[in-house]
Amino acid sequence: MKEKFIFILLIIACSCFSCRNSSKKTVEFIFPEADSVSLEESEKLSSEAIEEIAKNISSPVEIAYLLQKMSVPFSPDYLASSIDPNKEVTAFKKALSLGILGADLGYLNMYEKTGTSINILSSIQKLAEGIKVGHFFDFKTIKRLSLNKSNLDSLLFLSIDSYTQIDKYLRDNARGQLSSLMIIGVWIEGQYLATQVVKDYPDPMLKDRIGEQKIILNDLILLANPYCNRDDEYKRLCEYLQQIREKYRDVKISYTLGEPESVEKDGGLVITQTETSKVEMTEEQLADIIQITKEIRDKLITKN
Amino acid sequence: MKKYLLITLLILATGVLTKAQSSDPLVSNCVMSAGSNTRYLKDFRVQLGKGSSPGEMRYKAQISLWKNTKYRFSMCNSDDSEGQLILTIKDESNKVVLSSFDESTKKVYPFVDFICNKSGIYTLNYDFNEGNQGSGIGVVSMVK
Repeated sequence: MKEKFIFILLIIACSCFSCRNSSKKTVEFIFPEADSVSLEESEKLSSEAIEEIAKNISSPVEIAYLLQKMSVPFSPDYLASSIDPNKEVTAFKKALSLGILGADLGYLNMYEKTGTSINILSSIQKLAEGIKVGHFFDFKTIKRLSLNKSNLDSLLFLSIDSYTQIDKYLRDNARGQLSSLMIIGVWIEGQYLATQVVKDYPDPMLKDRIGEQKIILNDLILLANPYCNRDDEYKRLCEYLQQIREKYRDVKISYTLGEPESVEKDGGLVITQTETSKVEMTEEQLADIIQITKEIRDKLITKN
Repeated sequence: MKKYLLITLLILATGVLTKAQSSDPLVSNCVMSAGSNTRYLKDFRVQLGKGSSPGEMRYKAQISLWKNTKYRFSMCNSDDSEGQLILTIKDESNKVVLSSFDESTKKVYPFVDFICNKSGIYTLNYDFNEGNQGSGIGVVSMVK
């Protein structure tokens, strides 16, 4: 009996070992179950862990860059123009709108739409002042750079750096809930932009990028979790994120293993990753994600 | 003649000021040195004392990297750094996907271009070579 048991253990051990070393084997991204990110667990997250999660969220600049690569023309229709900073009363709405408009600013900056970005900047200024973080934005310089198209990197740097400083300041001053809202706002708007564009430009790269958001969706939920019971606004937002998560449940992401290849070029290194990720998402799943994203984003930007 | 000289100086000064937007010139110089064919995404400001255990990278940060994107990771050092900033990136299974330090030749590369084919969350590990003291900036950009 003992020998049989050892034999079975050996077979299991060997099969695990061979999985790790196979270069052709594929592995699949597993969506953590809902109860694996319990409220109790997320409340125990250190500020460092939350900061790490915050950095994971992809930049709207990357989405905008992808759209440019696909030759998608700029459209003002995607912007959250209904946000009126004078009518956003609660800190919740101000912080969330700050994130949403931050994503719009990234989109505008990448397309060098300076006129519109000046308007958005004014709204951002009011919202930032509303939650007492206006001093982190050098609006004068950002506006000047917006009008000077040759300094796009300076503009992107200043805009992103301002948001990074606000994020850190809010966390350091026990206002992490506002920082989380800002980050969630940036993500929702980036996701809205991608899902709206894919309707007219069903490029496989963009579809993949939308499907791949499953990877960070759980982190977003972790960011929101500690505040879900704070009040009705937070509770609703947590429910919205769960609704999005539900639409992603059957989207599959698998990985093929491989070793990176490197070559020296112009004094630096160029590394090509041979490992790949593959998204399996049906048209129906994509349609559901597009719809839920629009519904939720529209609810968030309209006055309750 | 003096007038033209003044105007020229003013134009030059404006250019310099526009290029160096951050209060820390090391940051803005590093952002700008990434290259005109790049778009800035993030930066990491690394300041470390002399390390006690060489081999263990001390500054860690997570980042999401996306398939079909070419990233540039640039490293810049302040003048008073004793070591050079190096970067190792690991994936979620803790596998090294790139390093700016060649262990066999001890060469430190100032930038690494990474052609990403697997979307996911990666860990950036920064330190100064041989665990030296130093301060530096790691800039992440997209290559157009």
